[in-house]
Amino acid sequence: MEKSLFDKYGGFSTVSKIVMRLYDKLLDDDDVGPFFDDVDMPKLIDHQTKFVASLMGGPASFTDTHIQRAHHNLEIAPMHFDRLKEMIEETLQEFSVEQDDIETVLGAFEARRDLLIDV
Amino acid sequence: MTIEAINEQLLRAIGVGVALIDLDTLELSFRNDTFDEWFGGPDASARLGEIFPSLDLDALAAEMAGGGKFTAEANFKIKRRRMTVALDITRAGNASERIAVLVCQNITRIKELESMIDSYSMMVERNTHEIKREKEQVEKLLLNMMPRSAYEEYKSFGVVAPRIFESVSVLTLDFENFDKVLEVNDPAVIVSELNDIYTAFDRIGEQFGCERVRTNGDSYFAVSGVPDPVLDHAESVANAAVRFLRYLSRRNESHPIRWQARLGLASGPVVGSVVGVQKYIYDVFGPAVEKASKTRARAPGMAIAADASIRDLLDSRFAMTPLAPAKSRPEPQSGLFLLEEASQSEAHGLS
Repeated sequence: MEKSLFDKYGGFSTVSKIVMRLYDKLLDDDDVGPFFDDVDMPKLIDHQTKFVASLMGGPASFTDTHIQRAHHNLEIAPMHFDRLKEMIEETLQEFSVEQDDIETVLGAFEARRDLLIDV
Repeated sequence: MTIEAINEQLLRAIGVGVALIDLDTLELSFRNDTFDEWFGGPDASARLGEIFPSLDLDALAAEMAGGGKFTAEANFKIKRRRMTVALDITRAGNASERIAVLVCQNITRIKELESMIDSYSMMVERNTHEIKREKEQVEKLLLNMMPRSAYEEYKSFGVVAPRIFESVSVLTLDFENFDKVLEVNDPAVIVSELNDIYTAFDRIGEQFGCERVRTNGDSYFAVSGVPDPVLDHAESVANAAVRFLRYLSRRNESHPIRWQARLGLASGPVVGSVVGVQKYIYDVFGPAVEKASKTRARAPGMAIAADASIRDLLDSRFAMTPLAPAKSRPEPQSGLFLLEEASQSEAHGLS
């Protein structure tokens, strides 16, 4: 079996830093940040940890229905989705993830665009 | 610049929030830059209870009266981020000056990391649980294919060494006219019938100390004494065989297909081993197995044929009637026997 990106980049030890960095960026961002205004810290961190772990093939996975249900009452516009995608890319670059692997992660993220955005 | 001025600048610039509390009024008299950044500048309230609503002021007062130290945690929000600070309040100055130093350490990151570890360990725990469940299922499947001792060996060494069992007994069974039964019945019905019958055989076998090795279409093959030795293995298979027939005749009374089983029993040495690399199965072969199959071929419908090798091991609870030798094929010189339970045989004699 091919090694997941999660394992390739050092497992939880690296992923935890990526999670924290993305969390900082998210909260500071005035486009995406407001979605998390009323979300309690532990819940948001939990969300981020699972989100990054699932994108990188770690020990978390979400079904499409699960993702859809979690986001259905949020008014997510294409701009928000794109902004988060940029932030993921920036963060992964900061942690020297190879561009090919970043594309893989972004591809996995992009594949779920329709689940999040109200068409 | 005087030492005092340098000191004050340092105090203002450090990343720890520092303030002085007037213990009489519970108001802050001095606040450094970091403190102001977190809790608002000079315009903000200076009242301790307003800045930290969750602070237990009575407990603080009691602790300060004794000249001690008071610690607490407080949460607040900067923009949309929840910050957590550890408060440390120490009585300062002499008894006449009722002031205390408040130091606020930013422990937001620690709290965030704690939450992340919680979240991660829950994920891992759930995964471990799933893996464990899958492992149990695999184990269950493998235990269907091989005896536990062979499985344990396979698990530790990746292979199972063939083992010779010097004295065991073998039971083989098939059904007369199975091809005809196949012709006239729906395959699904046959599979379900065989499933039912073999399950019953397994249960009866287990009761008497025999274990099924395999089935192949209409043939059922069980053994007693592999892999764990069974003292009275001959009796085990003989008992099971008699009950297999009893079960079938009863079953035939209420089912459309009248299964006519033929059984062959023999004793002797066998080899037990896992066969195959990719598709492995625990198999048993050897002289006793050969003898039992050959013996079975001579059994009439709903009867048990026994080889001399097992006859010698059974006592008078089983009656042996010599079978007339077959003309068409060679037979062991010691002959073959029809096996019945003794009481049943006597009953036959009376009727």
